Amino acid sequence: MIMQTDVVVVGGGVAGIKAACELCQAGSKCVLVERDSVLGGKLRGWHKLFPSFTSSSDVIEELLNELKQSNVECLLGSEVVYISSTLCRLASGTEIQCRAVILATGYNLFDARIKEEYGYGIYDNVITSVDLERMFHTGTISTLSGAAPEKVAILHCVGSRDEKVCQRHCSKVCCITAVKQAIEIKKMLPNSEVFNFYMDMRMFGPGYEELYLTAQKQYNVHFIRGRISEAAQLPKGRLQIKAEDTLTARPLIMSVDMLVLMVGMKAPKQNALFALATGLELQPSGFISSKDLFLEAVLTSVPGIFVAGTVTAPKTIGESISEATMASRAALKFIEG
Amino acid sequence: MIYLAPFTYPFIIGAAFMFLIVVWKYAMWFIDLPKEDVQKIKKGIFSKATLYSVWEIFRESLLHVRIFKRSLPLGYMHCSLALGWFMLIVVGWIETIVYLGNSFVPLYGHVFFRFFAAPVLTEHFWILDFLMDFFLLIVLSGVFLAWIKRFSSRLVGIRRTTKHVLTDRLAMSFLWFVFPLRLLSETVTASIYGGGGFLTGSLGELFAAFLPSQLLSSLLMPFWWCYSISLGGFFCFMPFSRYMHIFTEIPLILLRNWTLRPTLDEKSYDKFEIQACSRCGICIDECQLQKVLGIENVQSVYFLRDKRYHMLRLATAQNCLMCGRCQQVCPVGINLNTLRLSTRAIMRNIPSEQRYNYFNGIDRSCGEGRVGYFAGCMTHLTPKIKISMEKIFKAAGEDVWYADSEGSVCCGRPLMLSGETDAARKMIKFNEELFRKHKITTLVTSCPICFRVFTEQYNLEGITVLHHTQYIASILRSGRIALSPEECSYVYHDPCELGRGCGVYDEPREVISRAANLMECSQNREHALCCGGSLSNFVIDDFQQQKIASSVVEHLLLSGAERIATACPLCRKTLSRATERRVMDIAEIVSERLT
Repeated sequence: MIMQTDVVVVGGGVAGIKAACELCQAGSKCVLVERDSVLGGKLRGWHKLFPSFTSSSDVIEELLNELKQSNVECLLGSEVVYISSTLCRLASGTEIQCRAVILATGYNLFDARIKEEYGYGIYDNVITSVDLERMFHTGTISTLSGAAPEKVAILHCVGSRDEKVCQRHCSKVCCITAVKQAIEIKKMLPNSEVFNFYMDMRMFGPGYEELYLTAQKQYNVHFIRGRISEAAQLPKGRLQIKAEDTLTARPLIMSVDMLVLMVGMKAPKQNALFALATGLELQPSGFISSKDLFLEAVLTSVPGIFVAGTVTAPKTIGESISEATMASRAALKFIEG
Repeated sequence: MIYLAPFTYPFIIGAAFMFLIVVWKYAMWFIDLPKEDVQKIKKGIFSKATLYSVWEIFRESLLHVRIFKRSLPLGYMHCSLALGWFMLIVVGWIETIVYLGNSFVPLYGHVFFRFFAAPVLTEHFWILDFLMDFFLLIVLSGVFLAWIKRFSSRLVGIRRTTKHVLTDRLAMSFLWFVFPLRLLSETVTASIYGGGGFLTGSLGELFAAFLPSQLLSSLLMPFWWCYSISLGGFFCFMPFSRYMHIFTEIPLILLRNWTLRPTLDEKSYDKFEIQACSRCGICIDECQLQKVLGIENVQSVYFLRDKRYHMLRLATAQNCLMCGRCQQVCPVGINLNTLRLSTRAIMRNIPSEQRYNYFNGIDRSCGEGRVGYFAGCMTHLTPKIKISMEKIFKAAGEDVWYADSEGSVCCGRPLMLSGETDAARKMIKFNEELFRKHKITTLVTSCPICFRVFTEQYNLEGITVLHHTQYIASILRSGRIALSPEECSYVYHDPCELGRGCGVYDEPREVISRAANLMECSQNREHALCCGGSLSNFVIDDFQQQKIASSVVEHLLLSGAERIATACPLCRKTLSRATERRVMDIAEIVSERLT
């Protein structure tokens, strides 16, 4: 099947949805292609958003409403196998001829099993930040045995800023997510103790530093500067973690009921395939390069291909949505010549 | 016959200079040998080892059998130069004896025999003329190949050829001219006086037919001068260049057969190994840093070269995977890894004495049994392997003393690899005492890095040290555990430390084939590739390590196997990051198939 449109938006996460809405509202024809059977992307896995504890379903709903009103053609369950600035081929064989493309393909979560020393997938009660959000959704935090954890360790930078797994970049949002999650745990289990193991606290956004202080002052969340080196299983599903408190320069061994790994953002493998097919430039991290970091952040090295959201680097939800607006404007400008 | 000609002076001076320098060098090295080494020489000198050495010297210094095995043209190049030149000298001596009987002939009389003899000889032995020309032709063909190698090394059987230093280049330039000039000198001599074999004789006739005799007479002396100068020049540079290997390989073979070896502490014997390197460059092709990452100035040949000329940089000494692949193919049999380790030991940082105070009184072991299990720190970072071993011990009904389940002192090998030999020895001593205190009779480890240092450096009399693959193989054979084989194929990746390091190749394969289908890739056993995750390279980054790992995975999967099996936690960790396929330690495979 061959389709024709003005702009193809690849990826139905928050950036893709927003970009498609903007394009249609501006009067151009647009097709939104999503690999999954539902729209919303990774945000669907999140319970509440930092730093305001806004419900993520509210954000998705708002965006989907806007999408409904904009009359966008959505192709769900469609994987893109080939892309150029004028053609998008799907796994089903459908070809979409277009005049511009917006890539909003986002990121992958780092597979915590690669850091085997933390025991994800091996020990009970080692979970990731995503698993924890799932628990928040259900409303209960519990260990595998069903008990509420009394002592929780949260480890930052799992698969971020880690040369050992060839992930040199910072995933940007995990520090503040960890603060948010620590507070949520304390809200649900006020008697629990929560320890955050961090390298640096990167509180870059509005209200983040304040939230970090709140976590310490109001919720008594503990912050220890140092990475965990390894975890080991103890009887009754407990875990022993070894770390170094680098502020006191002492090794530290602690027993906890639950270990939460703050998994970072990893560039998807298909970025490299897209780059190979189209001539897009990649960063060393595997994310796609913008044409210019300052004035042309949503343009790429290939005319007619635009980028929005975490396809170029880890970003917050707000940043991704703003970028989608910029990308759609740039695409419109491009097709209007 | 009168042996007086000024043109011989460059040769005489060069030869005398070379002789003095070489003798002085060897004398110094022998004087500096430590007592134990001197004892070994005394013990070995009148033994079969000496006889064997003579055979080895003939085989390796003249025939170059090991290089032939590597590549036919490369072997021929080395053999033609060495054996050809040697035979020229031997037949030359015979020639003078045949012609002149037992009368005294000075050294240069032998070398320039044609010059002195041609005007006075009346009869010729064609067989001698033939042999001399034959071996000259052989040497010339070798020189020709050496030229080709400089322009295209691939034609001679190696991808990369060594980049040489100035003394090498000078010596090499002189050497390249020696034999062509000999040919010309002897040809012109033959064209004037007759004689010569199929090569110099026929060429001489050709010269005589086409060139005016006056010209030939005026060329005679300049050619002999040039020949003498090129010989003298070569000899002058020889002791300072790679050609020092020509002589040094002979004492090296003797000393090695008398069981001298380099150790972790630098010593005088090392000089024999270092200067026996011919810089053939075979190690460059073998190095994965070269093949995969394009790093071209750190390989063993450059390491030895830089060390010899005192221009070794830390970055060169430390940029090595210590996989031992170069040592495996080195035609001279130099102990490249040990030399690099002893060098790192000299270049190391000296840590504070208090650094190891934490040893005092720590014993975090648990359990009781005659069998001790030392998982090793890499195994603690890959807990699936540790859990699998615990399961296997339980299935075998083994009482196990767990040496390091709650933390331990390092086996010492990582420090040894970084040159901190003293610190490593502290740990070795600590662990030796710990093992003895708990009265174990068998020590099992999952980590080939630990295994190697246990077997090489520890004094564990009365304790059998086993890698877990050996342990599992033994309990499988004795029927203490049984497996239900699965319909799945594994290709086995030989870990460097277990394979080339400790010579364990068969037990891992035996265990896999009892649990599943074992497949092989082409570069296996002694020639196995390094996973790239080596602890001993302090220069390349993780991205480069992963690049090596990807190339290894690619090679392993060429076998057609579905999964990769290995027997080292570090290999397993490194390889699994480079592929989506399952990479499993043998202990994991076994624990999954236990019945």
